[in-house]
Amino acid sequence: MSAIGNWLRERIPVHGDQLRELTNEPVPNHLKRWWFCLGGTPAYLFVVQIVTGILLAFYYEATPQRAFESVRYITDEAAFGWYLRSVHKWGATLMVAAVILHQMRVYFTGAYRKPRELNWLIGMCLLVCTLTVGFTGYCLVYEQLSFWGAQVGAQIGANVPLVGGLMKSMLLGGDAYNERTLSRFYVLHAAVLPAVMMLLLFVHITLIRLQGITELKFGDEKPDEPRFFNFFPDHICTELILGLVLMILLSALATVLPATMGERANPLVTPEVIKPEWFFYVTFRWLKLFSITVAILSMGFIVFVMFCWPFIDGWIRRRWPGSEASVWIGILGVLAIVGLTVWEGAVAH
Amino acid sequence: MSLKFKQFVIAVLGLMFLGSLIFVQWMEVERKKHESAGRQAPVAVPASSQRCVECHAQGNPGIVEQWKFSTHAHKGVGCVECHEAQQGDADAFLHEGALIAAVVTPRDCARCHQQVYEEFSRSHHAAGGDILASLDNYLAETVEGARVPFNPHSKTPGRDDIQMVNGMASASLGCKQCHGSLVALRGTDGSKITFRELKPGPDGKPTDIAAVGRIQKDQNGKPLLDHDTWPNTGIGRLNLDGSRGSCSACHSRHDFSPRRARQPENCGKCHLGPDHPQKEIYEESKHGAAFRDLKDHMNLDSDSWVLGKDYTQAPTCATCHMSGHAKNGGRITHDPGERLSWTNRPPISLVLDTDINGKVVTATDPAERQKLVVKSAADKRTAMKQVCANCHTPDYVDSFYKQYDDLVVLYNEKFAKPGKAIIDAMKAQGLLTKADFDEEIEWSWYYLWHHEGRRARHGASMMAPDYTHWHGMFEVAERFYTELIPQAKEVVAHAREAGKTAAADAVTKVIDEILARPEHQWQAKK
Repeated sequence: MSAIGNWLRERIPVHGDQLRELTNEPVPNHLKRWWFCLGGTPAYLFVVQIVTGILLAFYYEATPQRAFESVRYITDEAAFGWYLRSVHKWGATLMVAAVILHQMRVYFTGAYRKPRELNWLIGMCLLVCTLTVGFTGYCLVYEQLSFWGAQVGAQIGANVPLVGGLMKSMLLGGDAYNERTLSRFYVLHAAVLPAVMMLLLFVHITLIRLQGITELKFGDEKPDEPRFFNFFPDHICTELILGLVLMILLSALATVLPATMGERANPLVTPEVIKPEWFFYVTFRWLKLFSITVAILSMGFIVFVMFCWPFIDGWIRRRWPGSEASVWIGILGVLAIVGLTVWEGAVAH
Repeated sequence: MSLKFKQFVIAVLGLMFLGSLIFVQWMEVERKKHESAGRQAPVAVPASSQRCVECHAQGNPGIVEQWKFSTHAHKGVGCVECHEAQQGDADAFLHEGALIAAVVTPRDCARCHQQVYEEFSRSHHAAGGDILASLDNYLAETVEGARVPFNPHSKTPGRDDIQMVNGMASASLGCKQCHGSLVALRGTDGSKITFRELKPGPDGKPTDIAAVGRIQKDQNGKPLLDHDTWPNTGIGRLNLDGSRGSCSACHSRHDFSPRRARQPENCGKCHLGPDHPQKEIYEESKHGAAFRDLKDHMNLDSDSWVLGKDYTQAPTCATCHMSGHAKNGGRITHDPGERLSWTNRPPISLVLDTDINGKVVTATDPAERQKLVVKSAADKRTAMKQVCANCHTPDYVDSFYKQYDDLVVLYNEKFAKPGKAIIDAMKAQGLLTKADFDEEIEWSWYYLWHHEGRRARHGASMMAPDYTHWHGMFEVAERFYTELIPQAKEVVAHAREAGKTAAADAVTKVIDEILARPEHQWQAKK
């Protein structure tokens, strides 16, 4: 064994201690509370999505003629196909939920503040990528709702001032949904977006490693208690527990509520009710509240504010030191998101 | 949380995850089982059938694949076990070193399924071939076709080979595919050699050597089966070995699927159509609606399929007429008449008291009946009520039977017996020719009892209101009042004009007496 070790060390000149030093980041004590470990959850689910996605890609065919049939084949005939598709579907749902929860935690604990503004921007990009990958994945099934969902998405894009037409043509590969549209969604869903997300994740984690995790203080902590604990094995065990709980949850959801097939897409028949995936309920309700241009411009503004929030917050805090404005704005934002989601979910139209 | 405790939690969660994966595996296996209709591929092909499988997998892969997933294959029963013949069998021939026969008869199946064979042999199903001399067959063989071949009406472009018309085609492909054919071998003298010529003994082997000597064979020594009678899977097939029936009528040959035999579609090959629409009647009933809705939960693939134990969602044809249930210890019968208390097949429904030969006892004297009846309709009804009792209370079942009896009696007394009396009187007085179906009233009468009357009675027996009324009694009444009676009166009028006054008076008296009864007094006096 030592011969093999020596052989390897000669060719990879990294010592075990150096490797331990590199990975064994001191973890602040507050991370012993599991609900602060939500950052690892989306990363974990991302891996699940990659693995199940690769397996599904073995069967999926991104053409309007074959897409629905290939998904049906996966669901009804391929060995374990129903399970993989269900895990992939529920994994997407949990991943979006985990990203949102993680972002809320970062927001309310002020973990985006100097010097971590850039990491917030990367996190925002990851949020946008996650939602987009969810949208494109939903469109791939080529059911009635996914087909018409794509139409609605493209129409929203078309209404963006100045660049709307270009956005729509870029998304659909033409003026309207056509033979090439699905392959665009597929390439975005299975290649471009995952690659971008991997890159962003790498930078996100590197920045965390370089800047360290924001330290939070709690009233019940003893003053003489050490401020940090080891990443390995203590924190990795917590993450492992979370990972296993997630896998059990995914398995349970996939078996109890497996992914089903809707009606095949029919471009000639518009469904009476079109609903997107739950994480777009907010947007959908917002669109129904205002005229399309107002809704799109206001949404664009809100997303812009979210991106710039660390800088806006910095300005507020400099102007009014000790201000709790960010907390109240955050609470209002969360209430608005929850309220609009529930509203959209509760009504038929 | 200490590191040790975390490790313990990880171990527990790891096991739970493993458990969830095992559950997923179980679901996948169940799904695959469902897809393959509960059948699994056999572990190995029996040595005796190795050669058959190798060769037929190339030539007829379908039958080999069907067999592979059958219970037979799973239990080591191969091709030879069913197809093997004995030296001296009329249809035996040497094929690739094995003495076999193409037609597998119930006698062959009885080698392993003796009790089933006995039950089936005394069933009405086994007697299905007796129709071959009935009024129905007269229709197919004579009215629709012809008992002797005849010349084509004119040439068929592109088919110069059509030199003669087989007048038995309708009977062969219609009647006999359900009722069963009289299986025949081709004779060297052009005759057909059936069990009647072969005179098989108790062991099924022919005793008439002269008939055996006349069997035509091909260059390989294979006896040639008559095209009119084979292929055939009619339930009452009359086989060369003297046995009756065909197990594959219900248990489709080569895969012998119990799942299929449990489903109404299987019975629907024959029990449907204008004269006995049992399948359609079932589909209209609440039983049929429940079956369509809950079929996937009915454990159709299960080895054991006992009502009240393995499933409760809905009954199928097999459930009520054949399958085991929780109240009879799960005992299956292959005599579907064991639980029937009326026969609604004849023009007038009869109480199904049967004699030692399984024939309906028609004697009217109670003492005589008591002597003859071996299996009573009351016992049969009790057996059916036991099936019903798995899902219904005794009061409910009794009330249903009261409703059913009332409908059958109404049909019998208001239309069937009067209709028959009129036809019988006309025949007795010589007002109808001896040939059947050459007069309009004979068609009317046939429609009344054979089609509409059966629909009404079968509809009532299986709770299908539309068949009981609109497709049934409504049409019976329409046929009786607007066709049978006017046509009878017209025949009588013609007879009177022809000077057959006495005959006309006799038939008129029968008609008038019937119409004078209170149940026919609803018509306005003209």
